[in-house]
Amino acid sequence: MNRQKLEKLGIDLPLLPTTSVGSFPKPPELKKARSQFAKGNITAEELKKFEEQATVFWIKTQEELGMDVLVDGEMYRGDMVAYFAEKMPGFELGDLVRSYGNRYYHKPIITGEVGWDGPMTVDWWKFASGLTSRPMKGMLTGPYTIMDWSFNEYYPDRRAACMAIALQIRKEVEALLDAGARIIQIDEPATSVRPEELPMVAEAMHAVIDGLPGYFLTHICYGAFRKIYPGMLDIPVDNFDLEMSNSQLNLLELFHDHPFAKDISFGLVDVHSHKSDEVSSVKDRLKQALEVLEPGQIWVDPDCGLKTRTVEEAIEKMRVVAEAALTLREELVQAARPA
Amino acid sequence: MQLKATNSGSYPRIGPTAELQLLRQTIAQRDTGKKTDADVRAAEDALTKVAIQEQLASGLDIVTDGQIRWYDPISHVAGKLENVSINGLLRFFDTNFYIRQPVVKGPIRWTSPVLRSDYQMAQQASTKPVKPVLTGALTLARHSIIEDAAYQKDFSKLVLDYNEAIIREVAELAAAGASTIQIDEPSLLTDRQDTGLELLRETWNRLAAVRGAARLVLSVYFGDPAPILNDLLALPADVLALDFTYNPQLVDLVADARPAKSLGLGLIDGRNTKLEDPGTVKAALDRILPQVDASECYLSPSSGLEYLPRDRALLKLKNLAAIRTSYIS
Repeated sequence: MNRQKLEKLGIDLPLLPTTSVGSFPKPPELKKARSQFAKGNITAEELKKFEEQATVFWIKTQEELGMDVLVDGEMYRGDMVAYFAEKMPGFELGDLVRSYGNRYYHKPIITGEVGWDGPMTVDWWKFASGLTSRPMKGMLTGPYTIMDWSFNEYYPDRRAACMAIALQIRKEVEALLDAGARIIQIDEPATSVRPEELPMVAEAMHAVIDGLPGYFLTHICYGAFRKIYPGMLDIPVDNFDLEMSNSQLNLLELFHDHPFAKDISFGLVDVHSHKSDEVSSVKDRLKQALEVLEPGQIWVDPDCGLKTRTVEEAIEKMRVVAEAALTLREELVQAARPA
Repeated sequence: MQLKATNSGSYPRIGPTAELQLLRQTIAQRDTGKKTDADVRAAEDALTKVAIQEQLASGLDIVTDGQIRWYDPISHVAGKLENVSINGLLRFFDTNFYIRQPVVKGPIRWTSPVLRSDYQMAQQASTKPVKPVLTGALTLARHSIIEDAAYQKDFSKLVLDYNEAIIREVAELAAAGASTIQIDEPSLLTDRQDTGLELLRETWNRLAAVRGAARLVLSVYFGDPAPILNDLLALPADVLALDFTYNPQLVDLVADARPAKSLGLGLIDGRNTKLEDPGTVKAALDRILPQVDASECYLSPSSGLEYLPRDRALLKLKNLAAIRTSYIS
């Protein structure tokens, strides 16, 4: 783990720190409030109260589960790209398109020059951080993913759109750092989509974080990792948050051939199934990870954001991750003690 | 030379109105026990009819059922075959759409028709021919998790066994009266093309033998077909449908190849909302069509339209049909 950097930033984490990828399910009362807001029956201020209540619930829940690095759960967001597109000049929000199965999202359309009108996530980061003494991740979507998951009617090509967005997302990173955030996750789940564009992802991430004082993670999921590994390590972040369980840990084979040189947030449970895993099988996955990775490199979390699960399912998935990590952490400590 | 306007496959199954959100709501309610599978089928029927009506109203000559019932292009058929179960999510090419991966646990066997009754329902709802669209064996195999030892040793056997299932589906559709059947093989353009082409030749030799009176369309998209264009033209498909959005030189390359078969011209970008300039599309048609030795060609989107919001998909089809009408007049 890049302990030195974390220590410099004043962050002390245990072995195998536990975290979450970002989103949690919205409790039923918040879903109802969002629906009422969409129909014009309640005001934005009234909706915000429900969002705050739900955020309080998830902060408390993460603490109770023993998570080490928290997230705000994104109670105020719908989609991870649309949320930013709604707030950034240059975007229009398109109608619904399907993501998978029965899931849909509003896909943005770039219709003009992209801009930044002020902080988009800072107030929520401050609110969530004020509820706990544990480290809170700042959560952003990266420029490549915003570009890839938007229609482009304005910029001449994908790179031009991506780099224009990168310059604006950097302003949000700076605003989070100014507010006190030290761990910032900049999600780039689209990274594995076009292997030939991997240099563009890295170039854009450089534009977002170069020279800034933070510990940076990026989340990548559901793609052809074989085509982008080890090249993806050129993305200049400290920690890669990867979906490992859904892909049956087959990424570990790649790590055998080319050692994983950075920190990893190791996805231990599939987030798109209703059923939960046994702690023992989750622990087995973590043991397999330890066969090819150093204990100090590994953070643990679910594969991806949990927003598509029910509240109960999400808590159970986090619980098994936390319990597996905690028991293995104790075993590692015991094993390290002199006989 | 006739130029016909056609859809390429999928069509949005949701929209802004309550009527267009029926399927989403019904599936969600079925999942919580408030609705039944029969309710979902009724909602699928309703949304299929709307998709067909919008295509007809746009002025298309050949429509599809919009693949409204399909969970995704891979698991819909593969998941109904013997010894195949469905697993976790995988991104579908370079889209932001995710498929469920089939897990092949033993010898693949087709047991009963998957698409025939859906085709019959769609054709009854349409005044124009309905083109059934299936995903081909190579693409199914490339998206599968292979647990069966025989297939692990011999990938071509997996492709050929998937193809036997596709053959049965094609035969059923042809017997039900489908005059044009499209088989999608996007994996060919991202695969190791030497291996993929060899396998595709074998599958298409078998398919061509069972098509009956139906015309078979081979559709490749989500990539640049230029490196294997001549190989594709040599396959025993009646129509070769191409995605022109990945290579600006493809118009000239296709024209220079002087194709001796009907082409599907995917000149309308099925992946971006920006509407095509009619003049640019007409210039491409001017360049290609005089070089094609066939009785008809098809102007179409580059891929299925499910990747677009409904309002934009509809505008794309209207633009496509208007360009076709303007061109032939």
